[in-house]
Parts: sequence; C-alpha cells; structure tokens
Amino acid sequence: MGAVDSAAPRGHGKKKGKRRKPRRTGIRIDMTPFVDIAFLLLTFFMLTTTMTKPQTMEINLPPSSDVKVEIAESNLMTLRVKEDGSMFWNLGIESPNKVEFNNLRALLRERYEQNPKITVLLKIDRKGKYQMMVDIIDEFNVAGMPRFSIAPMQETDFKVLAKVSS
Amino acid sequence: MPRIKKARIAIRIDMTPFVDIGFLLLTFFMLTTQFKPPEEVVIELPQSHSEFKLPESDVMMITLTKDDRIFLGLDAQRVKVSVLSDVVRRNWEFYSEDIRKQYQTPEAMVKLAPGVEVTIKDLPDLLIKARITNPKLRTVVKGDKDANYGVIEDVMDILQKTQITRFNLITNFEHN
Repeated sequence: MGAVDSAAPRGHGKKKGKRRKPRRTGIRIDMTPFVDIAFLLLTFFMLTTTMTKPQTMEINLPPSSDVKVEIAESNLMTLRVKEDGSMFWNLGIESPNKVEFNNLRALLRERYEQNPKITVLLKIDRKGKYQMMVDIIDEFNVAGMPRFSIAPMQETDFKVLAKVSS
Repeated sequence: MPRIKKARIAIRIDMTPFVDIGFLLLTFFMLTTQFKPPEEVVIELPQSHSEFKLPESDVMMITLTKDDRIFLGLDAQRVKVSVLSDVVRRNWEFYSEDIRKQYQTPEAMVKLAPGVEVTIKDLPDLLIKARITNPKLRTVVKGDKDANYGVIEDVMDILQKTQITRFNLITNFEHN
C-alpha cells in the first residue's frame, strides 16, 4: 500500500526524434512503513484524546456575611441535612419534615409553584460530605429554584433536628 | 479447443486518498489533543447536571482532597511564582519527604508543581495576593466527592470574606 511512483517512464517509443532519451528508471520508494507508523500514531491520538471538558457549577455568594438580607418568614424554606445525609425541610418556623432525596426535586418544584418568591436556606452538617452539597445544589438548579443560600449549621439547628428525630 | 486464458490484470487500488485522509486525521488529533494536566492527588469529582464549561485561562484552582487537605494552584506561571513562593518556602519543612525529594528546592516546587498544599490559615492572604496580581482570576473549587463538608464550608467562608463571591465547582456531567 501507498507505493509512490515518481517519474514514471514517459511515452517511450512513440516518437522517434533525433535524440533518444535514455529511459528513466522509476524511483519507487516503499511508503508502507511510513504509512504504518502514521496510522499507529493516528490510533494512539484517537484513543487517548478526551473530548469532554470538565463541567462546572457556578455559585454566587452574597458579598459579605455581615450584610443581613431580610426575608419574610413565609418566603423562607430551610433545608437541613444531617451527617448521614437525611434531609429535613420546613417553611418559616414550622417543625421540620423529612424528605427523601428522590422526592426533593418534586418538593422544590411544588414549593416554587406555590410561592415564586421562596428562598431556600441550605444548612449542612459539617461532618457531611461534599457530594451532598453538590447533589442538593444540583437539584436546586434542575428544579429551577433561583434563590438559595448556604448557611452553617448552628446549635439551634441541631436542637430542632434532635426534636424531630426523637 | 482450449479456451484462451485471459491475462489477469493486477488489481491496484490507489491508496493515496486513503492515506491523505489518514494524515489529515492524524494532524487533527495531534493538534487538538490535550493531555490531562498533572495532578498532585487523585480527585474523584462529584456528579451534577450543570453544563457550564471550565474557563480556559486565568484559573485559580482550590483543590480539596478526600483527606481534607487543601491545594492551591494557579495556571499562569508568573502569578504562581509571585503568589506561592513565600508560602512554599515557609512550609518547606512540613512537606512530606517524597515531595521534598521530588522537587529538591522550594523554588523548583513552585515552578513545577501544579498546586501546592496550603493550610486554611494561609488561604485568605494567598487569595487576596493572587487577586491583586491578576484581577481577572476565576476561582474554581475542585473538591473530592468524599471530602468533608466542614472544609468546604470553611473555604466558602474564606471566599466570601475575601470578596470572591462568584466561583465555580468542578463536577462531572451526569447523564440522565
């Protein structure tokens, strides 16, 4: 494969001029190993290349934690996540209800439809995992929840959760 | 009467166009391929449905490993040297034997390492310094999915305090 003919013998014997050109011998370079290597490289690059770029999730925090944003109690939904990943949600100061992760998206959609001004406050136990936060924020994004905020879990939150669990 | 056998014509397929296309593809893949940037530690990314792409340049990467160590990496060499030189020199004693053997000197480590380990106490100063050196820097947090949330919370708190209110979390795209 890939043999290259260079200087093929030209119309010999047809014209009978005065000078007879000496017959050129066609130089034939065997291109096969060269092409083999090329295809080897091609396969290598095709297999090693990764077309996917890592995805990112954008997060906006309020400028400073000193600035207090006032939210009406009725527009506030708190989502507390315990160390083991179990989630409890409540509106305002109602007592928390447990929610499974699979039902979270539906719950968020439902809350958002009922009250488009709703803001979710996400509180995750420090001993939890990063994956939980990413999963939940991802659910917020998928459910189209525009306003959410992340806050540290405080003593009072633990007390509230302890009351529910017991 | 015996049939006269036809002289067989040797079949010669012209391979030239095939080889041309082969080389074209080879060039394409050679030019577009990007090798995975070296990493100090293996990070298992969490999954999400987000489709934002990672910015190409001016990236400041805060890496959080699953054993809660923090690495800071900057893509521009100039910024990296000016921001991280001090902290690497100061922390040189605390790095593991392997790392010290690998890079020999603090200067070499700053130049060659994709990211250096920093303590949470050093982080605010470094972030501010990096932002002063290059105000266009985009902050990217690359956390392992099993990292403790507490560390992420601390880092986010620092980001907020240093006025970096917009940052990206690197995730893998989840198909479903």
